[in-house]
Amino acid sequence: MAQDSVDLSCDYQFWMQKLSVWGQASTLETQQDTCLHLAQFQEFLRKMYEALKEMDSNTVFERFPTIDQLLAKACWNPFILAYDESQKILIWCLCCLINKEPQNSRQSKLNSWIQGVLSHILSALRFDKEVALFTQGLGYAPVDYYHGLLKNMVLSLASELRENHLNGFNTQRRMTPERLASLSRVCVPLITLPDVDPLVEALLVCHGHEPQEILQPEFFEAVNEAILLKKISLPMSAVVCLWLRHLPSLEKAMLHLFEKLISSERNCLRRIECFIKDSSLPQAACHPAIFRVVDEMFRCALLETDGAPEIIATIQVFTQCFVEALGKENKQLRFALKTYFPYTSPSLAMVLLQDPQDVPREHWLQTLKLISELLREAAEDQTHGSRRGPLESWFLFIHFGGWAEMVAEQLLRSAAEPPAALLWLLAFYYSPHDGRQQRAQTMMAHTAEITHEIIGFLDQTLYRWDRLGIESPRSGKLARELLKELRTQV
Amino acid sequence: MESLLQHLDRFSELLAVSRTTHVRTWDPVTVRRALQWARYLRHIHRRFGRHGPIRTTLERRLHNQWRQEGGFGRGPVPGLANFQALGHCDVLLSLRLLENQALGDAARHYLVQQLFPGPGVPDADETLQESLARLARCGSAVHMLRFNGYRKNLNLQEDSLMKTQAELLLERLQEVGKAEAEGPARFLSSLWERLPQNNFLKVIAVALLQPPLSPRPQEESEPSIHKTPGEGSQALVHWLLGNSEVFAAFCRALPAGLLTSVTSRHPALSPVYLGLLTDWGQRLHYDLQEGIWVGTESQDVPWEELHNRFQSLCQAPPPLKDKVLTALEACKAQDGDFEVPGLSIWTDLLLALRSGAFRKRQVLGLSPGLSSV
Repeated sequence: MAQDSVDLSCDYQFWMQKLSVWGQASTLETQQDTCLHLAQFQEFLRKMYEALKEMDSNTVFERFPTIDQLLAKACWNPFILAYDESQKILIWCLCCLINKEPQNSRQSKLNSWIQGVLSHILSALRFDKEVALFTQGLGYAPVDYYHGLLKNMVLSLASELRENHLNGFNTQRRMTPERLASLSRVCVPLITLPDVDPLVEALLVCHGHEPQEILQPEFFEAVNEAILLKKISLPMSAVVCLWLRHLPSLEKAMLHLFEKLISSERNCLRRIECFIKDSSLPQAACHPAIFRVVDEMFRCALLETDGAPEIIATIQVFTQCFVEALGKENKQLRFALKTYFPYTSPSLAMVLLQDPQDVPREHWLQTLKLISELLREAAEDQTHGSRRGPLESWFLFIHFGGWAEMVAEQLLRSAAEPPAALLWLLAFYYSPHDGRQQRAQTMMAHTAEITHEIIGFLDQTLYRWDRLGIESPRSGKLARELLKELRTQV
Repeated sequence: MESLLQHLDRFSELLAVSRTTHVRTWDPVTVRRALQWARYLRHIHRRFGRHGPIRTTLERRLHNQWRQEGGFGRGPVPGLANFQALGHCDVLLSLRLLENQALGDAARHYLVQQLFPGPGVPDADETLQESLARLARCGSAVHMLRFNGYRKNLNLQEDSLMKTQAELLLERLQEVGKAEAEGPARFLSSLWERLPQNNFLKVIAVALLQPPLSPRPQEESEPSIHKTPGEGSQALVHWLLGNSEVFAAFCRALPAGLLTSVTSRHPALSPVYLGLLTDWGQRLHYDLQEGIWVGTESQDVPWEELHNRFQSLCQAPPPLKDKVLTALEACKAQDGDFEVPGLSIWTDLLLALRSGAFRKRQVLGLSPGLSSV
């Protein structure tokens, strides 16, 4: 308790200083700094309230003699009043200062002063005298029309932004970069206020005509944070614009997804799929630039974890969701495959992106042989400078879990000699690092070793499926049966 | 039902008193009772928002009260003027009490405790606290947008401040019209006397250009309650036509383009507008030395402004434009149908308008063929 108290005093000094510098947040610097500290200041206010509510008015002033100044300064900063619940907590703190039974004139004056500050916070619409007179004359109080006024202002600004975006040079009401930047700063505390959504959307979607980014990074960060915490709902187009314009936001969204996946105890595929779809990343990835960044992050995660099965499973589920989303996109707006997989031959990409279920059963073997061939070609490409090679090809292949499963299934089903191509695929899937020689040898030898290898592979596969809760009852049963048989043979 | 109506009456009185020094006598118990009544009425609003008959009865009662307090022409509008206001009558009451200096310390302390009980306090009126917090937050939002992003729209009818005022005016007029047939006219006259006139005229113009009011969400289920939209506009037009002094000020104060839009939209106004313009024109005489048309008195409308307005009217879409040209030709004929400048202002105006149109066609790269003027 004592430590808390000391912390609070330190914080108090810090915030008192900050508030004094910020003033009414009328300059670019003060606005930016305020925006950066909004969340922390609110936390501080909460802690203050918890401390203050235990004390009576006199004790409060003994403990924090300048508390009235601190609270007043906060109330004069519109960014603070506009943020989340800060205005509410400020009011609570002020209420703690009220003297229930003022003993002297000083205490009475204090009560009056507090009442004035409360009125200021709640008076909200301080306007041109003419407007105020007009609305009063009609018998309206601000509470009657503040909502309508805010809506009109937001819609008017949003339409101005759209006009600016569409007309470019030929508009009289061109939005200056300063005004745009200012608007984006002002939106930071307001992100979670639903009335402001149309403006946030317009800011994200309308690029204006400057070559460099004008909107403030704190704006993008605030929007992204709200999206990840589900505190705002924006159309997909706006989210895509956000991630395209501000790379750190996209990266943060991916990290957020990873965190969720890691922190969840036992991740069955269904839950993984839920998390992934929920993140809106598959739909956003229909835009190639976003896909490439996401893919790169998956690649890094894979390398860091040495090919952890969980990451592979995530990549596979993600790719599935991505392909689904791609299928729903407007055909005319679709990007060429090459933009998603620039280092892959178009024929390979096209084959892999098919849904295995769509391929008629009689063509499975053929298709798998084709994949094997093309993949092998890419994997064995030692051309200097090309981005091909075993690792990249393997990374490509593991995106598509459906094919690997199909290989295993084909091997289990056919009583005949397993085709070399399929064996190569399976071998490649599990150990891409095997040199060319070794893999060729593996395939050529018709000995107990290969049976052992197959047993090993099947075992691994079943284990994997078990661990990740993959439900493939039919294949699983087949696999277990084959495993039993093979073991008796050896 | 009767007890509910009485409740409404008592609360309206309470609301009126809450602004006066009479609250000096209030103690915490009184405050509590007042807040409880407000909460009850807010509950009524939520409960019967979609219930046509009850809603109408309550609204009629409120309009009656308003009428009794001096009717729609005299005195201020009461705090509760329509059913919708019941939805936040607790906020209304709370703010009035909070701002009232005359409220005693004990009562004020109690009030503040009730309004802001803090987080997760059981049995507290959470919704009132949230309403007040939202009011503060939105107020700040408006303030910030105004001073950091807003720019006064030169096209007045799209300016958000003007638009909001116009919407409020139309809403009020509609209500008053429902309560009493002659209500709107008297109401508007009283507003004209009380409010800053320049702003009022602009708001009227913007109101006349608003798209027809769409029904509010909760009213969509009872079409009987919401009469045809545009009633407010009609009341405005009617009033303007019946008050020549106001209309003259209206036409004088507002920019040419705005007036053209208004007259296009409300054809009933065009004959009177044209009449005014002709009156203004006739007051000018030709100064031979200077070679221009001038007025005799300082308040006479100068030539440039007259020309401006006619020019704007000639750019309006067909029915209006043709009317204007016909009127001008008629005036010219009446004056003697002169073709030389300096003899009839109407000749000169037509000449100026034609050459203006010609120059415009040149600038736009159109063929100098027969202009339509």
